Amino acid sequence: MTPEFIIGLGLILLGTVSVAWASPKDYLTRLINLEIPAFGLLLVMLSFDEMLALLTFIAVSTVSTFIFVRVIGKREGVN
Amino acid sequence: MISIYQSGLIAAFICIIIAFISLYQETDDLHRLILTDLTEIMALLLIALIATDLAEALILPGLVVMIAELMALAEIYLVKEGIQRKKNSSALDIEVMQTAPPILAGILVLYGIILSGFSGGAVAGLGIIFYSVCKGSDELFAQIETASGYAWVAWIAAFFIFLLLPGQWFFAVMIAGGAILIKVMAKFSLIGTMGGDPGV
Repeated sequence: MTPEFIIGLGLILLGTVSVAWASPKDYLTRLINLEIPAFGLLLVMLSFDEMLALLTFIAVSTVSTFIFVRVIGKREGVN
Repeated sequence: MISIYQSGLIAAFICIIIAFISLYQETDDLHRLILTDLTEIMALLLIALIATDLAEALILPGLVVMIAELMALAEIYLVKEGIQRKKNSSALDIEVMQTAPPILAGILVLYGIILSGFSGGAVAGLGIIFYSVCKGSDELFAQIETASGYAWVAWIAAFFIFLLLPGQWFFAVMIAGGAILIKVMAKFSLIGTMGGDPGV
C-alpha cells in the first residue's frame, strides 16, 4: 500500500464528510469543499499509474467547476 | 491481511453511504446537483480501484457522460427555476481575462496537440473554452461543427484501415489519435459558447 493511496483515501473520506455536511451550508462552500475528494481521487489514480485518466479528470473537473459557478452565479443574481 | 483493493472498496462504500444520506436529506435542487457531482467522484473511485488499463478505458467515457449530464441538468435547473440571463453582461469581469487569453489558450492547445488522443482533446478544448469565454464568440458554431464532422469521418476511416490493412496499424493509430483530438476539442469548445446569447 503506497502512501499516495492512503492519503488519497483519507482525503476522499474527509472530503465526502465535509461536502455532505458543509459548515455554512451555502453553494460556494460546498463547491470549494468538493475539490477535496477530487484531489483525493487524483492521488488514488496517481498511485495506480493511471496517467490518462488523471489528466482528463483535471481538464473535466475544471469544466464542471465552470458550469457550477455559472449556475450559482445566475441563481444568486450576480449576472 | 486486508488487500489494497478491499481497503479501497470499504472506504468507497463508506463514502457512498455518507453521500446518499446527505442527498436524501437535501431539499434544495442546486445543492442536490452539487452532491450529484460528489457521487460521481465515488463512482470514478470504484472504477479507479481496478487499477489496470481497463480502468482508464472506463474512466474516460465516464468523465464525458458526467460532464454531459451536468450540463443538461444545469440547463434544466435554470429553465425550471425560470432564471433568465440579463442582456449586456459578461460571464466574469476580471482584468486578467482581457490580457491573458491568447497566451494561455495557446499553451493549452499546443500541449493538447502534443498529448493527442482523448486527453489531448480535453486539454486543447479547455484552452478554446477559456479563449471564447474571455473574448466572446459569435459565428464559431458552423466551423466547429464542420471540423467535428470531418474528424468523425477520419476516425471511422482509421478503423477501416485497422480492419482491412492491419499492416498499416501505426498510420491508422495516428489518424485516429488526431481525429479524436479534433472531435473532443470541438465538443468541448461548444461549452465556451454557452455564455454568449441569452437563449443559450
